[in-house]
Amino acid sequence: MSSSGSPSSSCGGGPCGACKFLRRKCVAGCIFAPYFDSEQGAAHFAAVHKVFGASNVSKLLQHVPEHKRADAVVSICFEAQARLRDPIYGCVSHIVSLQQQVVSLQTELSYVQAHLATLELPQPPPAPVTSSGSPPPLSILDLPTITPSLYELSPIFEPMSSTWTMQQQPRPFDHLFGVPSSSTIGGSSELQALARDFLHGGQIPADLPPPGTGGSAPTVVKRE
Amino acid sequence: MNPKRCAACKYLRRKCPKDCIFSPYFPPSDPHKFACIHRIYGAGNVSKMLQQLPVQTRAEAVESLSFEAKCRVDDPVYGCVGIISLLQTQIQKTQTLLAKTQADCCCSNQT
Repeated sequence: MSSSGSPSSSCGGGPCGACKFLRRKCVAGCIFAPYFDSEQGAAHFAAVHKVFGASNVSKLLQHVPEHKRADAVVSICFEAQARLRDPIYGCVSHIVSLQQQVVSLQTELSYVQAHLATLELPQPPPAPVTSSGSPPPLSILDLPTITPSLYELSPIFEPMSSTWTMQQQPRPFDHLFGVPSSSTIGGSSELQALARDFLHGGQIPADLPPPGTGGSAPTVVKRE
Repeated sequence: MNPKRCAACKYLRRKCPKDCIFSPYFPPSDPHKFACIHRIYGAGNVSKMLQQLPVQTRAEAVESLSFEAKCRVDDPVYGCVGIISLLQTQIQKTQTLLAKTQADCCCSNQT
């Protein structure tokens, strides 16, 4: 995407990537020009055009305040590329994958917190030996579910160029997270089954992979 | 021609042919679903996308498109990427808390 050029959308340096792709004259005030530079922007716009269509994206951007348009373009590009990679589920497979990781981590956290609680309790005096034997071991299913509070949504984008939207504060994330490979979940067919369940309001399945195997952090991939 | 138009053809104000690509997935009982998809993707793009998919996968594709379109309507700036961001933040914070709790366990074990 755009790595140079002012946000004033002047087209003195030739057509922007979007107009280049559309093979049309890039006018002053072109809504796409600040976000799709002449070189790599055309490739990114191709994906956006294929999934959303130029006029739909133009309308979307017109309804977004100008200082938010850079973020909107990045998220639209991300969704378009996710949809081209996975024409059936698009971004939904990524969401399902992350939800599974959240549940897995929460389960592990509950277990470790319960274990910590037992370590911190004062040790009771040894019980007299009885014929009934020791109590049954604590099962993960007996543990309370820790539900973390919803965190404030953090924007994940950084301006692609420092000349974009100068009013913006620096943001915490550098890159868009790439779509994880199916190998982190256990195969694309399993992921598709989870995505189907998610779309139809089903539960995340209880038979999650044990902690430390399927719950690895998503790979941070610099978006192409 | 279908005696009852599907939600897509009703929205587009056109006749609903027997082989309408939208009719299996957009029943007339849910007009909002197609309205959302049309607003974000456009009928032509959705039709092309569905035509390129095997028939048995089209229902799922429509559901995921509908979900993403609804997210985009609700949040025009981030769409469903906002949900991804929220989940990633949740994962990071839970991982941090887990690491801290595991460290506490180690300390308690040693004392």
